[in-house]
Amino acid sequence: MINATIGNSSLFSWLLGYEAQRKRLFKKAPAGALRNFLAVPVISINTPIDDIEILAVDFETTGLDATRDKLLSVGFVNLKQQQIALNTCYHQIIKTKAQLEESNVIIHHITDSQKEQGKSLKEVVEALLKALAGKVMLVHFARIERQFLTQACYELYGMAPVFPIIDTLAIEKRRLDKRDVAYDPSELRLSNLRHKFELPEHHAHDALSDAIATAELFMAQMSKANKDGKTTLRDVLL
Amino acid sequence: MSMDPELSEISSFIHSIPPFDSLPKQVLSQLVRELSINYVRKSEPFPPKSIKEARLYIIRKGAMSCLSADGELVNKLGEGDLCDAFFHANVSTTESNTANENVFTHTLLSTNQTAIDNQLQVHTDEDCLIYSVQTSVIQEIGERFPSISDYFSQNSAQRLKRKMTQVNEEAILSSTLMNSSVGSFYQSPVASIDIEKTIQQAAIQMNEQGYSCLVVTEKGTSVGIVTDKDIRRRCVATGLATSEKISSIMTTDMCSIDIKNNAYDALMMMTAKHIHHLPVTKYGNLVGMVTVTDLINNEGHNAINLSSIIHKAQTVQQLAEISHLLPKLQIRLAKLGSSADHVGKSVSAITMAFTKRLIELAEYKYGPAPVPYAWLAAGSQARQEQLAHSDQDNAIIISDTMKPYDDAWFESLADFVCDGLAECGFIYCPGDIMATNPKWRQPQRVWHKYFSDWVGTPSPQALLNSSVFFDLETIYGDASILRNVRKKLLKQTKQNTLFIAHLSKNALSLRPPLGFFRDFVLKPNGKHKATLDLKHNGIAPVVDLARIYALAEGISAVNTIERIQQAAGTPSLTKASAENLIDAYEFLGMLRVEHQAKCLMRGESADNYLSPKDISKLEREHLKDAFKVIKSLQDARQSSYQ
Repeated sequence: MINATIGNSSLFSWLLGYEAQRKRLFKKAPAGALRNFLAVPVISINTPIDDIEILAVDFETTGLDATRDKLLSVGFVNLKQQQIALNTCYHQIIKTKAQLEESNVIIHHITDSQKEQGKSLKEVVEALLKALAGKVMLVHFARIERQFLTQACYELYGMAPVFPIIDTLAIEKRRLDKRDVAYDPSELRLSNLRHKFELPEHHAHDALSDAIATAELFMAQMSKANKDGKTTLRDVLL
Repeated sequence: MSMDPELSEISSFIHSIPPFDSLPKQVLSQLVRELSINYVRKSEPFPPKSIKEARLYIIRKGAMSCLSADGELVNKLGEGDLCDAFFHANVSTTESNTANENVFTHTLLSTNQTAIDNQLQVHTDEDCLIYSVQTSVIQEIGERFPSISDYFSQNSAQRLKRKMTQVNEEAILSSTLMNSSVGSFYQSPVASIDIEKTIQQAAIQMNEQGYSCLVVTEKGTSVGIVTDKDIRRRCVATGLATSEKISSIMTTDMCSIDIKNNAYDALMMMTAKHIHHLPVTKYGNLVGMVTVTDLINNEGHNAINLSSIIHKAQTVQQLAEISHLLPKLQIRLAKLGSSADHVGKSVSAITMAFTKRLIELAEYKYGPAPVPYAWLAAGSQARQEQLAHSDQDNAIIISDTMKPYDDAWFESLADFVCDGLAECGFIYCPGDIMATNPKWRQPQRVWHKYFSDWVGTPSPQALLNSSVFFDLETIYGDASILRNVRKKLLKQTKQNTLFIAHLSKNALSLRPPLGFFRDFVLKPNGKHKATLDLKHNGIAPVVDLARIYALAEGISAVNTIERIQQAAGTPSLTKASAENLIDAYEFLGMLRVEHQAKCLMRGESADNYLSPKDISKLEREHLKDAFKVIKSLQDARQSSYQ
């Protein structure tokens, strides 16, 4: 079942590599936020989902290319034992030098003046690393968050950490692929998936709202896939 | 950057739910930050195992049922509903008393949840997305915002009382008449004149003192009144000499009103009797006079004008034309913020005026009645709870001195009046409870027999007849006839517990709904309906209860609120329960009056069907509270005869 789902027999060793890489990077990391993050072991992939601490994360960016585009804002919230605690939520706009393109302003509703009141990239990334330590990152469409966080760490620390990710889009994609029926890729959008799982519509597309929306979607996915409570991190890891 | 525009969506959702709608934005934002979000699968245990502490749950998506310990459906919750079944951790099951209200403000987490609420089982009917917040957070907010602590500490009866107090306060502001006693309007001292004086002397005194009405006294006690109109109609117009004694033109059968009554009742009495001056008494002694003008100046519009045109109508056709004004009167009263009680009294008074005028026209056409009789109104008109253009329910009690051939006259009267009422928009009674039906046009002795048969053998038909004919009022004729019949009847019902038990059982079959589920009305069997029948599912059960209390306790009042007030403190009903029941009744009545005014303004006929979509979430909550009050008193009544 697991192999059929993930279809990757090297996953186990790859994950072992995760923990090994963490230890290696920990030794090299400069004192501070990154080192503190790397000091916490990566969670075992055999841990049942309900026992894992998850951080649902969403980034707003100026584009899709992490080397050229900028991170605009970060939102995250804790998810543990199938419960989102809003008192753990975080939302911060980043003060960047880049001028905002008009099209992005429309999408994210972040204006230049708001951005001026934001915090530095360093402050925001450190807050994220602190919250993420010992947890698994949960996102919808992992590429953005993985690449932009990695890029930001290179800029700030000259090196990037490794971090396990659960991707609600990938979970659904695997399920659809397995059915061997053609589907429209737009079905995999966050709002469309939420609709499919009969979750309330959400209209505010800031980083925190989308992080919460992703966490709710994951809970709904697990309520179907994890009825016996035996699903482990291995089953859902990207 | 403002506080949390990010959580604005959740904030606005919470803000739409009473009592949180009263919180300022900043506090709301604090509350939202304390929320947890859970996803609970259908039929999964609730609350989720991971939650140990007392919490308030708010349904964001999905549906759940609340069941009592014995599995009976108590409530069904959908999007935007609060589930407070787990709000109090280990609450003692002492039921709250309305008396010690002060305690609640200090100890929110205390004993005031009803026992039933504590034993609720909650079952998820669909997959649910649920927000929740720790009780302690609500308590902290409640310390700063009493509207929050009140909401969660009060039981349904107390919440309803609070609402009705607010409504009454608004009514006081919007209309002084309804809530002030006659004492604030009457003129005192009364101008009086000795019976030995002449008509001319009376006219001079009126001119000098600026009064249009004098009380006629004989050796210091009042024996009648004389008005400027009497001088015009009974003296000048008839060519009577002004040197005649005033006794020749005065009115002797004065009606009067006690000073403790409210001004609105005075207005209604004058409307019904078609008079413009009403002596005010205190401990039976004349102390002053209240005039229509005094009252009209304070109320702008009222029923008096309508009543006065009705009295002048010469044909049924004219009456029918006037009757078109009745819905307008109801709209106007509703807009004035009148309580349902006052709208009911006004409309009933107008219907009474129509009926009286029709009887007068009939007596003019067929000559005077061969023997004394009383024309009776039954049902809502008798209870003074009529709203525009309901069915006509009427009957005639004829003196026992009638001869068989006299019935022809009464038959003509009945046909004329009932047809006339129908032309004025009061449709024929579908159950044929009308004076045109020979069965309901009988001498006093037959009515005595009817009532003792019904009380003695409570068959289903007898019980049905009882519920109609126990609410009777004399509209025209000899009121003593009905008084005698009623006195004898109440003596019988008070002694006959079996009859009361049967009547109770029959009446209690109409149960109020449990509340609302999504945009539907939730019935006790768990099914939903699209509309709430305010009359049959809310008002009628209270009217029935009040009638049972009245019959069980020998109370002669017919009006529902008066019955409940008089039953308060008797073995049938505690004073606290009576107040709760009146609150529930007035709230339902208010919704009905508002709903009907909306219908009438749209040019539709006024019905009793309220769609949950048309009322606010807060009104739904109050309705639910009203249903709970009614249900608990029905249950108490049920257990009292089991």
